[in-house]
Amino acid sequence: MSQFTSESIFAEAAGWNLWDVNVRVGPSGIHGELALEMPALLEEMKRYFIRAAIAMHGTAAEYDAAVGNEALSRISASELIPAWTPLPDRESIEQLARRRPRAVRLMPRNPNHNFPVTPWGAGELLEYLQAGKVVTLIAREDIEWEALVKVLESFPGLTLVLLDVGYRADRYLFPLLERFPNLYFDSATYLAHRQLEAFVDRFGPDRVLFGSRLPLFTPAASLAVLSSMRVSDAARLAVAGGNLRRLLAVAEQSAKA
Amino acid sequence: MRSPIPTVDAHGHLRIGVRFPYKTEPRDMIAVMDSLNIEFVAVTASLACWNDARSGNEQVDQVLRQHGKRFRGYVTVNPHVPGEAIAEVERWRHFHTPPLIKLHPSVQQYAVDGPKYLPVWDYANQTGAVVLVHTWQSHPHCGPLLFPKLARAHPKASILLGHSGVTWRGYEQAMEAAANISNLYLELSGSQRHRSMLERCVHRIGAERLVFGSDMPALEAASTLADVLTAAIGDAEKEAILRHNFLRLLGEA
Repeated sequence: MSQFTSESIFAEAAGWNLWDVNVRVGPSGIHGELALEMPALLEEMKRYFIRAAIAMHGTAAEYDAAVGNEALSRISASELIPAWTPLPDRESIEQLARRRPRAVRLMPRNPNHNFPVTPWGAGELLEYLQAGKVVTLIAREDIEWEALVKVLESFPGLTLVLLDVGYRADRYLFPLLERFPNLYFDSATYLAHRQLEAFVDRFGPDRVLFGSRLPLFTPAASLAVLSSMRVSDAARLAVAGGNLRRLLAVAEQSAKA
Repeated sequence: MRSPIPTVDAHGHLRIGVRFPYKTEPRDMIAVMDSLNIEFVAVTASLACWNDARSGNEQVDQVLRQHGKRFRGYVTVNPHVPGEAIAEVERWRHFHTPPLIKLHPSVQQYAVDGPKYLPVWDYANQTGAVVLVHTWQSHPHCGPLLFPKLARAHPKASILLGHSGVTWRGYEQAMEAAANISNLYLELSGSQRHRSMLERCVHRIGAERLVFGSDMPALEAASTLADVLTAAIGDAEKEAILRHNFLRLLGEA
């Protein structure tokens, strides 16, 4: 049909060992056919050379955290690293611990989750995630800036990845990155003109992780940013997956300990 | 990443640094355009959209004089100063034939179908102008569904629905608006690149009425470019969207 495909346009990405921090799997009552079950999701990832992804489950987002986690536990694919969705109560934390998590997705402002992501409202959960070096994902729309500061001040060892930060937030994001060394963000919505390139020029490549928002959005958008930025090969590879693998390796070591 | 199709870009800005502060000078834009294989971008001055149309249009004039091969210029008009809009399009008529006109009803806080814009629409109809209008889903000043009546009343103007309403629902509104009206076009720049939306647009209204735009140097041109290039549509359709359709509207095909 077309000689120009994702595989040809992004051919160089075949060698990047691309890992995606921002993916969801499973059904949706909101997004209809854009939602993908595991086999179709893996096919789409393959089209864009995404070798692995941290994935949350659509049922956890749209219905119930525990039901979504159970659905996620039934998915067996080496390419998908589960992002469990815990609630802050002790039973949920104990269930999470039994799963030996490497990554979680907190959705405190989601009406189906609905908890204060504060030391007084989720302190035990955050303490657990900090102690286990669990990669903790939270979307920007799920936490106010001041609440984020409070979490980072109270749990300085927590590995926190801010997702979907958007392209208008640098004057908020930069001071926090300078102040909190365990804060990271993903590139899925970091789509302003030469924004990622300028970020790497200023901060280096170590604090940003490739994200796509598959399957609701095309990976072409953020992959194009990664591909077209004028930085060193080492910097590109760090954003493409090196940074995420480093964080996950720390979490895995902690889980084994 | 580099476009294998030499691309022309229907939606750009000049000096938007107050909001998007990275590498926004024309020479920086040209370097990015070279790396992505974008031959030229049609620009409006951000100053003209947000605050001072006359001074902003002067910026466009300067850039066209310095880099005429790499830019085309929209005349941006302010509907709120009586007589200024037509005076501006006349003042800068040398920018392009047919005229390129930019309206930003959202920041100008005035409905695209309001009476203050009517002289501009009449001018556009008389001259066969290409009119790029910022749109957003269901926006009271620039929602896509405001446009069918305008387009029918001004059939010789070619109207680009800037950003195609932006969101998933906005795109659906833009397609609904343009479905049966041949002088409405969907301009594709935007930050919400939903999977499969390009294919839906081609299926619903045809590739010949989709026009590539980047919104540089606000948004990253590579993102929209890659969305088109990797879509499950034919090569001829990609070439039409990325190049031929806008050249045809400009009379440069």
